[in-house]
This record gives sequence, C-alpha cells and structure tokens, in this order.
Amino acid sequence: MDLILPYLATLAIFFFVYNILTWGLNIQFGYAGVLDFTFITFVACGAYFSGVFALGPGQKSTGFEWILGLSWPFPIALVMGALAAGLLGIVIGLIAINRLRSDYMAIVTLATGTVIYGLVSNYTPLFDGFDGLAGLQTPFTQWLNINYNQFTYLWVGFCAVVMVICWFIAQRILNSPLGRTMRAIREDQEAAEAFGKDSVRVRLIAMSMGAVLAGVGGALLMGFIGAFNPAGWTSGETFVVWAALIVGGRGNNWGGVVGSFVVAVLVNEATRYIPPIPGNATLIPTVRNMLIGASLIAVLWLRPEGIIPEARRRFYQLPLLPGRRTPAEGVGSAGS
Amino acid sequence: MPEADPFLRVEHLSHSFGGFKAVDDCTFEITRGTISALIGPNGAGKSTAVGLIAGALKVQAGRVYFDGHDVTRLPAYKMARRGLLRTYQVSREFPLLTVMENLLVPPPNQRGESLLNALFRPSVGRRQDAALASRAVDVLETYGLLPLRDEYAGNLSGGEKRLLELARAEMASPKFMLLDEPMAGINPALIARLDGHIRRLRDQSGITFLLVEHNLDVVERICDQVVVMALGRTLAEGSMAELRQNPEVVRAYLGGGLDERAVG
Ligand SMILES: Nc1ncnc2c1ncn2[C@@H]1O[C@H](COP(=O)(O)OP(=O)(O)OP(=O)(O)O)[C@@H](O)[C@H]1O
Ligand SMILES: [Mg+2]
Repeated sequence: MDLILPYLATLAIFFFVYNILTWGLNIQFGYAGVLDFTFITFVACGAYFSGVFALGPGQKSTGFEWILGLSWPFPIALVMGALAAGLLGIVIGLIAINRLRSDYMAIVTLATGTVIYGLVSNYTPLFDGFDGLAGLQTPFTQWLNINYNQFTYLWVGFCAVVMVICWFIAQRILNSPLGRTMRAIREDQEAAEAFGKDSVRVRLIAMSMGAVLAGVGGALLMGFIGAFNPAGWTSGETFVVWAALIVGGRGNNWGGVVGSFVVAVLVNEATRYIPPIPGNATLIPTVRNMLIGASLIAVLWLRPEGIIPEARRRFYQLPLLPGRRTPAEGVGSAGS
Repeated sequence: MPEADPFLRVEHLSHSFGGFKAVDDCTFEITRGTISALIGPNGAGKSTAVGLIAGALKVQAGRVYFDGHDVTRLPAYKMARRGLLRTYQVSREFPLLTVMENLLVPPPNQRGESLLNALFRPSVGRRQDAALASRAVDVLETYGLLPLRDEYAGNLSGGEKRLLELARAEMASPKFMLLDEPMAGINPALIARLDGHIRRLRDQSGITFLLVEHNLDVVERICDQVVVMALGRTLAEGSMAELRQNPEVVRAYLGGGLDERAVG
C-alpha cells in the first residue's frame, strides 16, 4: 500500500500532464492542421520559465546560473511559463506558417526547434545549459507543512484542477466558430482564404494556444520533478505526443485522453516490469519508444482516424433561432 | 445599354509559370450587375486569370481594379472581404466538415471567430451561429441539399458538390462571384437549375457574375457579355451573337460545329 499509492499518484500526474499536452497538439494539428514538429520545445519553454520564475536567483559561483530567479509563488510562475510558451508559439509560428506554402511547416518547426535546443543547452547563462534547472522546492510543501508523499497526492489534485481548466480552453475553442474556421483551414487552406479567412492569423492563434497548453504541461512537470534539463526534451519527446494524438484520435479531445492513457500510462506500466540488465542502461526507454511506435503503426493500419475519431457535428446540435422550425429528421437523400 | 460601370477591370495582366506565359497581356472589363462569361480553348489561361484576379496568384505584370480600387496586390482573403468570391474549377469543399458546417464557414464578420469570444463569451458565437444556421437551412432548401445537411461534404457526389459550392458562395453574401466552370461535369437538368440560381442571385441580390464556361448553350442563355481568351490574351468582347460573326473567335474557339448553327 505504501508503495502502490504513490506510484499510482505518479502515473496519474503523468496521465493528466499528457492529456494537457495532447490537447495542445490537437489545437495546433487536430484543429488547424499545423504540422508542429517541435511541440516539446513549448513544453520545455513552460518548464524553464516557470522554473526561473519560481526558483531563487542562480549564482555563477555555485555553478548554478539562470536568468530571473524571482522566487515567485508557483501558480504565478506556472502562468508565466504558459505565457512564455504562447509567445514562443507566435514567434515560431511566424517563421513556419505561410499563406502560400503549408508543406514547409513540418521542416521549419523542426529546424527552429533544433536551433533553440542548441542554444539553450549550450548557452549556460540562460537555463544553465546541459545541467539545466534544479533545486526547485516542491511547491506548497513548506507552506502546508507536508511530506513528499503528501505532496504527490496534492500535486495530483493540482494537476487535475489545471487539467480541467485546459479542457475547457480546448473545448471552447473547438466548439466555437473559431474552431470551425480552424478545421476549415485544416481541410483546405486556399479555399478558406477564398472565403475571407486570414489563415495565417487563425493558425497563429492555434499555434500559440497549443503552445500555452504545452507550457502549462511543462510547468506542471517542473513543479513535480523540481528539475529540468535538455535530456528531458529531445525531439523524440515530440514524437511521443504526436503518437498519443494519432493513436487516440485527432480533432476531438477525448481522443487525446485515450491516446495519452495508452502512451503515458499503459506503455509506462508495461515497461516498468522489465528487469534492469547490466550494461543496457537505455533498455527501458528504448522498449518504451518501440512500443509507442508499434501502437502508432497498428492504429494507422487498423484505424487511421484514431481510436476515437473526430465527431461529426449533426444539425440538431446546432442551435436554431427560437421559433424556427426544425426540418424533419431522415428526409432521405437529396433528389436530383 | 446604360452607361458602363466597370465593377472589375483587368489591364494588361500577365503571368508566367517558369518561362511559359499562361496569361499574356489580358485586358477586359465587367459591368456591374451583369452576368458575363470568360470563354476560350483549354489552356487559354482562364483559370490562371481567375486566380490572379482573386489574389490566389501573385500578379507579375498588369493591374486589377475592383469596385473602383486598385486591388492588384491584395491577397485572396482580402479580396473576399471586399466582396469578391471565387470558386474553383475542381470543387473545393471542406471534406471533413458536414454540409451544414460548410455553409457556416463563409459568412463574413463572425464575432465568434475572435479568440476572446471563443474562450470567455461562447454565447456570442452560439447566438450568431443560430442566425446563420437558420439562413443556411433556407439556402440548403433552395438548392435541394437540406437532406444532406449532416453528411460529410467529402461524401457528396460531383453534382451535389457543385450545388454546395454555389450554396456556400451565397452564404458569403458577396458582391461579385467569379465562378470557374461551375457547371463542369453535371447533367443537363442540374445545369438548368444552376443557371436558374445564378439568375436569381443576380436579380434578387444584385450580384455581378463572371463565369468561366465551356457550355456555350448556357453562355448564350444567361450571359449578357462574353470575353474570349486564347493563348493567354483577350481575343474579343461582346455578346455571343457578335462573337459568332467574329472570324478570329470562330477560328480560335468556336470552330465548325457552331458555324453550322450560325447558318441554321
Ligand atoms: N501551376 C502551374 N504551373 C505550370 N503551368 C501551369 C500552372 N497552371 C497552369 N499552367 C499552364 O498554364 C496554361 C493555362 O492554364 P489555365 O488553367 O489557366 O487554362 P484554362 O484556360 O483554365 O484551361 P481549361 O479550360 O482547360 O480549364 C496551361 O497551359 C497550363 O498548363
Ligand atoms: Mg481552367
């Protein structure tokens, strides 16, 4: 019992965080068709910035150095991390999103992310380079006077609350005329432009809102682990979020829940029982990535639209004006 | 004929793909309130000209004036916001949106498209959608598409997609419709219905039309004015009857079949 509960709590935290991440990528790709191949960069941005807002000042003399170091309360640091990620989303979006060529998005996001990765991991004054941020006190523990296990349960609750807020953000966008326009742009950018839709602006909104959710997820990880460094956001991690979204089903947020459950819970759970083999330190992450890849291939073969496909919006779901007659259902197919 | 009021004027428009001049010094005028046709042999540069006017292609040389303004450099979405709506030679429906949703995308100035309204005041979008959906029901009824409202647009037949294209265009409430072969690949009964819709829109909503069209019966029936293009150039302008007398036009496009009819 003493071991099981904290373990389940940890799984729940990763599940919740991955929900937020897949919803973020869903806003970018599932709604608006933006091929963001550097999603993890936004997660990192949220983690780093929430970290430097919450951490105390870094001192070069002690071998820890980073910008800011403001010792702000963690919830405010989380918001700052999310905002920083949203801004980065606009910056990368401005580089990658083009009115005439949408086929460059994937390669441009990947390239931009690689540049940022190189910069952050080598330029130590920013976030302490390869060593990264470390030493963040678990939030709320001092204030509430609780131990680490209690903190873990508290963090499950905190993540759940944040996750619900993110769910509302994602759902409200999806179900608004903005979401409809995003999906239209995803389906046919040029045709949407022919109806007066500014596809670059709309895709920038999707890019930055997705990045905000990524940043929130990153901040939650930062608060939980207390440390963050470049080993945690290699480009392979972007693939994990993509796999979760494709496996679960894009264009609807329940798909993201299923996908992150498969990828963040089932696969992790399955690889937990692999015994450590001496000399094979990377065995578990390797097997994990193989399992994720295999589930992705299986879904693409058997059910390419994902386990939960995008829901069709039926007409009776649309609110008509009061008093407006609703045409009888099931009239049959259109005559000539 | 009343004093000409050019709604659209194209001057010395040219465009090449690589070294190939698809549109080469093309010049014509479209009078407000008319239904006009742009005709010409395959590869004459009609669709390219449509793309240039609509802002989907960058103009390399020449000018486009729309509604009294120079719009040569405007991108497609700004042209649409000025009231020019173009359709494509191949239907460009949003396949994974339902027919109904396809009709809710075009209307301009949707307040629910603002991020702040979407996040904090969803009722704004819902209320506007309610009004738009009611209008869309009427439009769908007019085009006989109402029973298909919940179908994915990608699943419609070719002819149904053509109807959807025009229904969507109507939802955008434009001032000018630039239709690239709206009747391509549909049966004669449906053609009669489509040209009825075009005339209705002109008469009721005062929309000016320019159609790219190969079906000369349709052109004859509904168009007031015809522009002929060949090899990227405007060859002639006038009524269908005038063009039949023009030996250049007959040689370039109308050919033998129509000579017989001109005689008969
Ligand atoms: N994107 C492109 N790249 C290269 N060549 C092109 C491109 N688009 C059109 N062309 C060429 O330009 C010429 C004009 O094409 P366009 O589509 O404008 O003709 P059209 O008059 O619309 O013909 P149709 O009646 O067959 O539709 C053709 O020879 C075509 O091959
Ligand atoms: Mg053409």
